[in-house]
Amino acid sequence: MLWYKSWLETKPRFLTSLATLTLFCAVFVYHAQGLIRPEFRLDLNRLLFVNQQFLVIMWVLSVVLLGMGGIVREKAIGTTSLTLALPVGRFSLLISRIGVGVLEVIALGLVPWLAVVGVMSIVRKPFQISQVASYVVLLVAGGLVFFLMGVLVSTLVGGEYTAPALAFGVVLLVAIISDAWFRDYSVWRLVTGDLSIDRSTYLLPRHLPWLGIFGSLCFALLMMAASVFSLQRRDS
Amino acid sequence: MTNEFAIITHALSKSYGKNSAVRELDLSVKLNRITAFLGRNGAGKSTTIKMLLGMIRPTCGSGAVLGGEITDTAASRNIRRRVAYVGEDKPLYAYMTVGQIVRFAKSFYPDWRSDTEKKLLYEYELPVERKVKTLSKGMRTKLALLLAFARRPDLLILDEPSEGLDPVGIEHLLRSLVTQASDGVSIFFSSHQIAEVERVADHVCILEKGRLLVDQSLDELRRSYRRIDLVFDSSIPENEFRFSNVQRIETRGRHMSVFVQSNADTVVERARRLNALSVDVSPVALRDIFLETVREEPERALV
Repeated sequence: MLWYKSWLETKPRFLTSLATLTLFCAVFVYHAQGLIRPEFRLDLNRLLFVNQQFLVIMWVLSVVLLGMGGIVREKAIGTTSLTLALPVGRFSLLISRIGVGVLEVIALGLVPWLAVVGVMSIVRKPFQISQVASYVVLLVAGGLVFFLMGVLVSTLVGGEYTAPALAFGVVLLVAIISDAWFRDYSVWRLVTGDLSIDRSTYLLPRHLPWLGIFGSLCFALLMMAASVFSLQRRDS
Repeated sequence: MTNEFAIITHALSKSYGKNSAVRELDLSVKLNRITAFLGRNGAGKSTTIKMLLGMIRPTCGSGAVLGGEITDTAASRNIRRRVAYVGEDKPLYAYMTVGQIVRFAKSFYPDWRSDTEKKLLYEYELPVERKVKTLSKGMRTKLALLLAFARRPDLLILDEPSEGLDPVGIEHLLRSLVTQASDGVSIFFSSHQIAEVERVADHVCILEKGRLLVDQSLDELRRSYRRIDLVFDSSIPENEFRFSNVQRIETRGRHMSVFVQSNADTVVERARRLNALSVDVSPVALRDIFLETVREEPERALV
């Protein structure tokens, strides 16, 4: 039932994000398909790549927002004593939040791309499903770290505005620093496909950058461990 | 010894930086009793309750609830399984409906009483489909009480349970508390409504500035505190009545009121020796005992 609670808590945020991302991708691809941007007509693969660039920005904002909440936030709104009076540990509370969040993060990466597939099918444009799948994997597996950055910030700061503001700041800072000094290891570039795309064909390679994805997942696990540590030590 | 106590603490303390919220609290709450936990705002009642439920860590000292150590993580979880708690602000998840929050709470307690749940939903007129955020303060209080009463707890801890309730609701609550106690549930509750406390409590603890000042049964308290109204033919110096058991003296001309804790006879005897025209000894209400107790505290702190 903790999962049920987490789901009810994040449902409005998740559904709003899902609708926005899906609608954006569907409209963007449909319009770009010759209605507004004829240059994409001949270059479908480039269109998919550009779609991923925009999607990543909105997806990261959405998953950081999904990471907000939890006990620290509950302390600010006054429900912490109800949650902490339950016969469960803080670890279980956090894990249920992360569990539900990961499922929502996957849906936020998958459904907008399914909308793209739907639009492509409607306008009868040929596309490679493997390319779409690769973009989804890069987005979800590579970008999970952004969700856990949000979770970590939410275990440190409880303010309704300060927590997301700080989380967005951290994400932006990580993106800027990695882009400036560690370009080949930038998570942002990994997720957008920028690190692995073939610039002549705009196709992602058959083999995804698994090492980069693995590194990003390890970083996500580190964020999770830090969140658990922070929550266990907290006195509230 | 622990077996006869629902709650027992030893030198339990909590500090936030330099501020002490609870100071070396030695509390013992017996099983199968209704124990009132009184104190002014900021006296440390809620902090004590939160420590008992493992929500915050004590700075030092120890405590046990239903035999489980409050600082032991596994024992604390077991304590929370056996204790029903209604918090001061009646915290409820605003994003859930009444039905959802009942289902959610029910899932954690295998011995949930569905009959009580249905009965209270009906009696409290709680709309199952309505979101918690749209409920009035009184309805939220009723819902919080339902979540506590529908369980089969060994101990009920209630922080200001009547807050937000109308007189009918308060009456229902007090009757429910007595029923729960007669079913063998130990009750530990804080309240500012002393008239209500006086109606149901067996035992009273008074906390002031984090320290326990009174820990007595209500009957003992009533027996030991007396107000003695004296009338003399001329004004008498207060010093004549400064005994150790005298809590306060009020003088208005030839009239004197002496508030004593235990052994009123010493004051009566002195008054007669000073040829008092009238000596009237009367019992004291819990409200006055409480006010006297917390009024004394600044002087005690200076000692």
